[in-house]
Amino acid sequence: MANAIEIRNLTKSYGKNRGVIDVTLDIKEGEIFGFLGPNGAGKSTTIRSILGFLKFSEGSIRVLGYDSVKDHERILENVGYMPSEAWFYGAMKVADVIKYAADVRGLDCSEEAGKLCERLKVDTGKRIKELSLGNRKKVSIVCAMQHKPSLFIFDEPTGGLDPLMQKNFFELIEEYVSEGATCLLSTHVLSEVNKYCKNAAIMREGRLTVLDSPKIDDDTFLKFYEEETL
Amino acid sequence: MISVFLKEMKLNTKNLLIWSLTVGGLGLACILLYQSMQGDMKEMADAFSNMGAFSDAFGMSTLSIATLKGYFATEVGTVHGLGSGMFAAIIAIGIISKEEEGHTGEFLFSLPVSRTKVLAAKGLCISVMLLVFTLICGILYAIGFVMLSEEIPTGEFVTFMLRQLLMNAEIAGICFAISSLSGKNRMGTGLGLAMIFYVYDLIGRVVPDMKDYLYLGPYSYANASEIFSGEKVSVSAVIIALIITVSGVIFAFVRYNKRDLAS
Repeated sequence: MANAIEIRNLTKSYGKNRGVIDVTLDIKEGEIFGFLGPNGAGKSTTIRSILGFLKFSEGSIRVLGYDSVKDHERILENVGYMPSEAWFYGAMKVADVIKYAADVRGLDCSEEAGKLCERLKVDTGKRIKELSLGNRKKVSIVCAMQHKPSLFIFDEPTGGLDPLMQKNFFELIEEYVSEGATCLLSTHVLSEVNKYCKNAAIMREGRLTVLDSPKIDDDTFLKFYEEETL
Repeated sequence: MISVFLKEMKLNTKNLLIWSLTVGGLGLACILLYQSMQGDMKEMADAFSNMGAFSDAFGMSTLSIATLKGYFATEVGTVHGLGSGMFAAIIAIGIISKEEEGHTGEFLFSLPVSRTKVLAAKGLCISVMLLVFTLICGILYAIGFVMLSEEIPTGEFVTFMLRQLLMNAEIAGICFAISSLSGKNRMGTGLGLAMIFYVYDLIGRVVPDMKDYLYLGPYSYANASEIFSGEKVSVSAVIIALIITVSGVIFAFVRYNKRDLAS
């Protein structure tokens, strides 16, 4: 299996503040990869570097075989990203936001979007400003999945979703992954990693540790958080 | 890029209509008031034209407000200059930074569109909005002349509206550059800049020592009284305006492509 994501010696700092330090990571095509770590450990910095939101100072990132800097647009054509906050333009209607995301991609995703909205029970007639966090997250899932990308990147996707929607969400991921997609799942929920991920890594204080197995117990998992606060 | 442009236009249409109808409507009201004030205008014009530097600053020493042309240049010229400058500042100062301030940047920039294309779409949106704003106001002012059965001084009128459009573009160019710096809302800075430029021009026309530096400000070449009294435009002022506008836009593209985007 080829690598969907290849990160080599990634270092990113914010002035004098630490971002991530010398991160090297391979994520194989067709797997769900768990990405754990305390708040501020560097998970989002890594993800935002992959997506080109941040300009990193050292290292290299290849996504789906393309260089993350030179082939930025081509990579994003094949990526579905769901940020942790899921903000959209408040005045727009849900249906318009979903169509807008497809239009920018130059695709007609109406059929897939319709299926996703039905399964996630998305009310497309409402305006974004009328939605709760959970409902905004559902819109974000539709925007990330409607074009059937090769790579999904989810940053804390289940916060705000009710248990039924969480179940539907993971069913959808497993369906797309069974068709060949890859998924990078950043989360604080160990049970999600235990249940769905084939491999996992934990970030702490900007450094990455790849786990031998995603099936770790609560005590080992919490040690990473406790040591962070010491 | 076209989708981003259309979305920006849609999100800004309400703002455009409110500002253009308000500024254009105020100008139209000013023009219509002329008829009711016409009887007293002669004495007022004589008084206003003999107030030294103050008369010079507002162009009343060269134009008589007893005529509709002079009245338009001094009254509507001020209303449109201030209103359009503020509108240009407001739309440009937030158009880039709003993505980070409203946390929508992560959605927009996760779509396959480069920062350069997003900025091009936003820049195009500002240009179209300024053009439509100028057209709506121009039509409303022209309606005022027609309603009073007065002949429109077409040459001066079109020159005035085009120079105001250039002044708006210069202010927008500066604000576009500022908007690219960070994800903070700088609405106050934008409005303040427009006011400072206006006051700079006003003071420059009152204080003799500052007259030589008037051309540096965006209001210098767009002054209605000068245009309607047939004074020649300062070429250096127009060249500086074009350089500042283009520099502001280039700065925004370069800076925005280099920096990190806030979440």
